[in-house]
Amino acid sequence: MSTLLVEICLGTSCHLMGSQDILDAIETLPPEKRGKIDLRGVTCLKTCRKGPNARVNGVVLSEITPDRILAVIEDNLP
Amino acid sequence: MNRLYPEIAVAQLSKAGEELCGDKVEIARTEAATTVVISDGLGSGVKANILATLTTKITSSLLKRNVPITEVVPTITETLPVCRERKIAYSTLQIIKLLPDSMATVVEFDSPTTFLFRGGQVVPFPTEAKNIGGKAVREGRLLLGEGDIIVAVSDGVIHAGIGGLLKLGWDWTGISAELAANCSPADDAEKIAEHILGCCNGYYLGQPGDDSTVVVIKLRRPRNLTLLTGPPANREMDEQIVKRLMSGEGKKIVAGGTTANIVSRVLGLPVNVDLEYQDPEIPPIARIDNLDLVTEGVLTITAAIGRLHDIRKLRSSNRRDGATLLARLLYEADRIDILAGTAVNPAHQNPNFPAQINIKAQVLTNLRNALEDLGKRVTVEWV
Repeated sequence: MSTLLVEICLGTSCHLMGSQDILDAIETLPPEKRGKIDLRGVTCLKTCRKGPNARVNGVVLSEITPDRILAVIEDNLP
Repeated sequence: MNRLYPEIAVAQLSKAGEELCGDKVEIARTEAATTVVISDGLGSGVKANILATLTTKITSSLLKRNVPITEVVPTITETLPVCRERKIAYSTLQIIKLLPDSMATVVEFDSPTTFLFRGGQVVPFPTEAKNIGGKAVREGRLLLGEGDIIVAVSDGVIHAGIGGLLKLGWDWTGISAELAANCSPADDAEKIAEHILGCCNGYYLGQPGDDSTVVVIKLRRPRNLTLLTGPPANREMDEQIVKRLMSGEGKKIVAGGTTANIVSRVLGLPVNVDLEYQDPEIPPIARIDNLDLVTEGVLTITAAIGRLHDIRKLRSSNRRDGATLLARLLYEADRIDILAGTAVNPAHQNPNFPAQINIKAQVLTNLRNALEDLGKRVTVEWV
């Protein structure tokens, strides 16, 4: 089964900017969608100034919000 | 030969109803020697505490300046203030001095006999009677080896339960039997000290009839730890710094996201970040093979300093957040070498962020102070 790689930065800045909310939002997805996501943490995506940052399928997304990450996941789910 | 490290633990109870303990323990660690001075002041409460504090402080300062013991004892007896009711100035004095080659000297002035716990057997630390400045003092020397444990107690422990649960009190032989039966030479000093004090409190039925102090000194191999936090100012230094970290003896810790990425790149090993928040205030830990711990940087270190201020809580805590894990590893080490990168992350200059993340030097100074207060030897090298 192909999965969507979603990486969330949990470094200092992103943590302070709310990366935990992004993680929490992904965990609220229904099991059929959550099961298709390979969720990982990373320590820095080098765009600290624009946190919280995430990387979906290799593309870095900055100033991400819970709603936006869910929308991006929806668009990219296999 | 590898030098042994004296691990020291102190456990104390105040006489029931007293806020202050009339026993005092002063520990001084220098390059030349580790000295533990124990004093039991006359009576209990404030007066006893003052006498004992003066005795330990004066003794410790004199010994640090290499004043011979023959001068220390008379200095103490002549300096102490006289009790208005009893018309005497008095406190006991016990000195345990350990040289870097593990030669131990014990001096006892009216204090209970020191215990030597070696290979599961308990014997009195060998001393002989001497007259120092007109006072009857016992003094002895012994070369200690790895795993040897010295235990010193105040007379409150010797007399535990007297006239109550135990007619004549716990006594020296009772304590030595307890040590041999229920303590192991593999236990750490703190465990032994807490165990003996726990028994003492039990014999007093939770109402100590006297101030009680247990000091345990255990000789063991030193535990080293190297902590790398923050990227070096110059990127060309990355490889060299990671090599320094990996070539250090003992535990290896990385604190900082970017720092973790650098270590991962240089070692060619992946960083696996935990997704679980064990504590909402502390970013999750990560894992890199061959490292003992990988955490976020300044927030975790700041929280770890807080954890180090309450060791009792830290020891009993089963929390698994980065700050607790970091504090525990630091607490277990004797010598800590901190490699601090000076690169500045411009994103941290955010007025909405906690102030401490901009002042890493201040955070590391606080960390160093907290560790030094716990008797650790700490070096900080800015890279």
